[in-house]
Amino acid sequence: MKTKREQLRIDPTKCTACHLCTMACAIKHHGIHGMLNPHLSRIKIHQYKPQEVNVPEVCMACENAPCIKVCPVNARMRISNGSVVTNVSLCIGCHACVYICPVGSPEVHPETGQTLTCDMCAEDKAGPWCVIACQEGALTLSDKDSLTIETARNQAGRYKRMHA
Amino acid sequence: MKVLIIGNGIAGNQVAFTLSQQNQEHEICIISAEGVPEYDPCSLPYFLGGEVEKKNVFRKKMEDYEQHNITLVFDNKVVSIDPEAKRVTTDKGLEIDYDKLVLAHGGDLFIPPIEGIDKKGIFSCKQLIETEKLRSHTGSCAVVIGSGAIGIEAAEALKKKGYEVYIIELFDWILPTLFDEPAGKKLAAAMEGYGIHVCTSEKVLRIKGTDVVTSVVTDKQEIECDTVVVATGVVPGTALARTAGIETGRGIQVNQKMETSVPDIYACGDCVETVDACTGEAAMFQLKHNAIEQGQIVAKNILGEKTQYLGAHAFARAHFFKTHAATFGKTIRGTECLLGESEVIEKENGADYLRVILLDGKVIGGQAIGKYADTIGLLISAMWRKDDIKLIRSKWNSISKTKNPGKFSQMRLGHIFGFGA
Ligand SMILES: Cc1cc2nc3c(=O)[nH]c(=O)nc-3n(C[C@H](O)[C@H](O)[C@H](O)COP(=O)(O)OP(=O)(O)OC[C@H]3O[C@@H](n4cnc5c(N)ncnc54)[C@H](O)[C@@H]3O)c2cc1C
Repeated sequence: MKTKREQLRIDPTKCTACHLCTMACAIKHHGIHGMLNPHLSRIKIHQYKPQEVNVPEVCMACENAPCIKVCPVNARMRISNGSVVTNVSLCIGCHACVYICPVGSPEVHPETGQTLTCDMCAEDKAGPWCVIACQEGALTLSDKDSLTIETARNQAGRYKRMHA
Repeated sequence: MKVLIIGNGIAGNQVAFTLSQQNQEHEICIISAEGVPEYDPCSLPYFLGGEVEKKNVFRKKMEDYEQHNITLVFDNKVVSIDPEAKRVTTDKGLEIDYDKLVLAHGGDLFIPPIEGIDKKGIFSCKQLIETEKLRSHTGSCAVVIGSGAIGIEAAEALKKKGYEVYIIELFDWILPTLFDEPAGKKLAAAMEGYGIHVCTSEKVLRIKGTDVVTSVVTDKQEIECDTVVVATGVVPGTALARTAGIETGRGIQVNQKMETSVPDIYACGDCVETVDACTGEAAMFQLKHNAIEQGQIVAKNILGEKTQYLGAHAFARAHFFKTHAATFGKTIRGTECLLGESEVIEKENGADYLRVILLDGKVIGGQAIGKYADTIGLLISAMWRKDDIKLIRSKWNSISKTKNPGKFSQMRLGHIFGFGA
């Protein structure tokens, strides 16, 4: 089952690791985070120096999101714009959502121990700040079919699936 | 069509609500042995420890059932199934007919045959009602029998409540089905660090006390206590299925549509034996995410969509105080009977620990504590894709931005394994 909705797409080949997206995210969410900490961004960039490759990493809001199913206290939930977020009034900081994520996306708040993922700047009419900030076209919005966990896993590796 | 679901747990509710969301015409009825709407057993230890309020233990409210036209029959335990008459009978003598029956009654707490295990002061935390009794009990010293995930979580909760806590494990290390020895021993050391007494390779022989528990006698010591928590595992409820002549193994046997061997009877959740999604071997993982997925498959098949269940996922976490650990796939013990060359890659950095189990160069399992655990999802994905680690190891340094734009996960994997170093 797939639904069409707006979501983030990443193109690592275009990412220059300028970190404008992570700054934008940290600023946008600093009120919720209770601190302005550039490391506390819901989007991360992994830099691999030997290969000169930069891989942005962000929650893909998988269609059959496994984090929702493994959360022991039912704190992971899908909001109306399709994003999957952590309800901090329930989260006990057990990291189950971090472990099961096919891309390793949820960030852990250093003080509360609770997890954070991309909410696509919910309710902000301007749209996701990271997309606005990205000058390279590495982050875009698309309204194609949403990803399933299988595609999230496979897109990352472009490997054959084991099951039909 | 009347769909009757036995068990108001995770799997049963998934069936009922998926059915009702997709098709309003079916008559849906859930028979529940308990008297409350659906709750999450996974949050019970946190409810016990005070981290989760009672209202947040529930996954459903009474209104949800009404809104979805689902009838809920409380406090009735189904005792037999007559597949000829298509009728079930409960312990209160209630008889209910069905067109399609779903067995979603989970598992039962395994109570080991220990002398004195029926005394006052002995609890479990498998069900809400039991957990509430333990929560309102006032004691000062508790012995937890069994160091599986539930035992560990219960021990943490009791420690937080101010108890002196002992965990007794028969095996040589804690969490023995989920972690191999090195990780198990590190986790035990961490528990000791939080002031919980961990006793491994130790067998509980007797529970003493005239009416109320006064001590637990093991083959090594006698521990004075006023509270005992039984956490020795959950056994799939197969007895009920056998009253209908349904084939059972370790659990109720089902095909890929989650149908049992008897027509019009499906089964899902902790009571079934399925296959491991990655290896195809028979598996009984008894985890929430599997119960949810199986429930969805049952509902779709009842609705006539031909959906196949691909298998269950072995994934679990262990979390107490500031210690975080995760495990997936096979442990090295689990590979003992497998053909092929197994290899273990270990990394250690202070309290952080990573152990990846490879078979013929492919990831088949892993365990991690601390920082390494946060990237374990990438290893799970590698297991799924059957990434060849040997290939990644030899090619890692030469993966380039322009030539291999699709190999990002492999870059991250190579990084975890430290191939570049
Ligand atoms: C303390 C605890 C912690 C856990 N933590 C985790 C975790 O962190 N992660 C994870 O993945 N899994 C965890 N689990 C396992 C997870 O809860 C189960 O896999 C899941 O609940 C299985 O769902 P189910 O619907 O098959 O069974 P259940 O949720 O157990 O539901 C079965 C229901 O059927 C009812 N019933 C039984 N017999 C009958 C009968 N004859 N007639 C009518 N009703 C009947 C029972 O009362 C029960 O309500 C935990 C379990 C426990 C007990």
